[in-house]
Amino acid sequence: MSRRNAAIFAAVLLAIAAGAMALAGANPLAGFAALLRGALGGERQLSETLVQTTALLFPSLAVAFAFRAGLFNIGAEGQLIVGGLFAGLAGAALVAPGWIAIPVILLAGAAGGAIWGGIAGALRARFGGNEVIATLMLNIVAALLANYLVVGPFHAPAATGPETAELPVSSWLPVLIPGTRLTISLLLALALAGALSFMFARTVFGYALQAAGEAPQAAARAGIDLRRTALVALTLSGAIAGFGGATLVAGVLHRFNVALSPGYGFIAIAVALVGGLDPLWIVLAAFAFGILQSGSLTMQALAHVPKDVVGFVEGLAILGLSARRIANPREESA
Amino acid sequence: MAELLDFFQLALVKATPLIFAALAGVICERSGILNIALEGGLTVGAFTGAAVSFETGNPLLGLIAGMLAGALLCGLLGVAATRFGVDQIVAGIGLNMLAAGATAFAVVVLFGAPGATPEVHALGSAGETALIAVAVVAALALQLGFDRTPWGLRLRACGENPQAVLSAGLDPRRIRVLATLAGGAIAGLGGVFLSLGELDLYSDGMTAGRGFIALAAVIFGRWTPLGAAGAALAFGALSALQFVLQRSGVPSELMQALPYLAALAALTGIVGKARAPAADGVSL
Repeated sequence: MSRRNAAIFAAVLLAIAAGAMALAGANPLAGFAALLRGALGGERQLSETLVQTTALLFPSLAVAFAFRAGLFNIGAEGQLIVGGLFAGLAGAALVAPGWIAIPVILLAGAAGGAIWGGIAGALRARFGGNEVIATLMLNIVAALLANYLVVGPFHAPAATGPETAELPVSSWLPVLIPGTRLTISLLLALALAGALSFMFARTVFGYALQAAGEAPQAAARAGIDLRRTALVALTLSGAIAGFGGATLVAGVLHRFNVALSPGYGFIAIAVALVGGLDPLWIVLAAFAFGILQSGSLTMQALAHVPKDVVGFVEGLAILGLSARRIANPREESA
Repeated sequence: MAELLDFFQLALVKATPLIFAALAGVICERSGILNIALEGGLTVGAFTGAAVSFETGNPLLGLIAGMLAGALLCGLLGVAATRFGVDQIVAGIGLNMLAAGATAFAVVVLFGAPGATPEVHALGSAGETALIAVAVVAALALQLGFDRTPWGLRLRACGENPQAVLSAGLDPRRIRVLATLAGGAIAGLGGVFLSLGELDLYSDGMTAGRGFIALAAVIFGRWTPLGAAGAALAFGALSALQFVLQRSGVPSELMQALPYLAALAALTGIVGKARAPAADGVSL
């Protein structure tokens, strides 16, 4: 999308959002002002926006990772949930000093996500099964699995909600700004974005992934194993999303709850596309969507605009950005 | 015996929206559009049906409006995929989010409180039974239509080899748009069944992933109308079985997960090779 088209597109989205606000009987300017005030109006608001940015950044990088390899991982939501589940179970069970417990919890989350992404990758690599359908189905199975485990066998005796026991305080991620929920997970996410950017631009592995995505036949002739690439890419993509789920558990909720994600894994698709699948631009896009996430409740409270207008506009954004080709899902290696 | 009859009745009620959505999926996919916005089609159908019935007091008008809303949403996917060459998967996800956001928004704006519409005039038990019958007849009619009519042949050709359709002097894009319109209307009818047949209101999230179960049914039914409807019926029976087994200790989540696990199993080809239409999901 050229810069001019992008500007037109953004203007159209803003106009539609303004129209929706007017329809709800609110003054659109007051609506936008309340949104921005809720997201950026002070230290507390800004830190909460960065919490949302971080939560979106991990699954967005996961989605972009798979998309760059020509694979449709629309299962970041499920991978994030399974990652959070693994992290929550490990964290509640583990009694150890923080410098041991925190890495173990985060790696448990990455492992959970890797398993969930790996299932789709294995189906694709071994049977040529469509990863769109597989990840879509696995999303729902993940939610059901989490619900079963957390309401049933792993339900915390003292908890009122569907959640695991609280992590020991020593296992919580260190907070960046005292008195807020912003933790070092933001720095981890930024470091990951930088590392992925380097990987795609400068490493053989990153080049092979993109070759498999952009020109599968040429890549296959050049000796790149497309099946293996599919398995590896979906597993690693899942690991990134699962790691993100673990940071939510260890950094924000301090336990696993079935309501861990309000759809981060789906919004991540919009974030990844807005960021042009480029890890560094995705950081900016995640911040923009973080503003929407954290400001929408203030907008609802102050300007009386239903917060659902955000989901509606995000959907429109994805629809508009779908004109970008990702890959042909049927260009099978055989 | 009475209990068994009750069970079959519940199974049919649970299966009907799935059958409608699965038939919609078959029509779209056989034309070459992988429509993952079936969930959105159900959602807008259910909401529009309830809202129009509330405003007019006439559930039949609600039914028609719900079908139109479904057709509009899925037709948007058809137009986007054929005229703008968009990625069908990404567009479908966008449409699902758009449908969920727009209906939740509209509930607040039109009815003043979030979450659900007030009670509306529903179709009643006679209407509910009629829609169940319509679902069964539609599956049979579509199968016949697919196998025996030139329309069915063109639609199938469009999903396998759109170039050949073009060489035969027909416009595959037009056929695909028509398929998404027809499929969307049927998905919308499935939504109407939820809000005006089984219940008498719309509430946010009431479709509860049925559009995705329908996608599973399409695969499990190997992309044929009768196969997909049969799979939807089996999934509906599973859903009814949950109520029967509620106190038996079988986790209800396992029962709910079975359709999705079945779809994953179908992807491995273990249950017999399932092949999607060659041009399914390939934009023109």
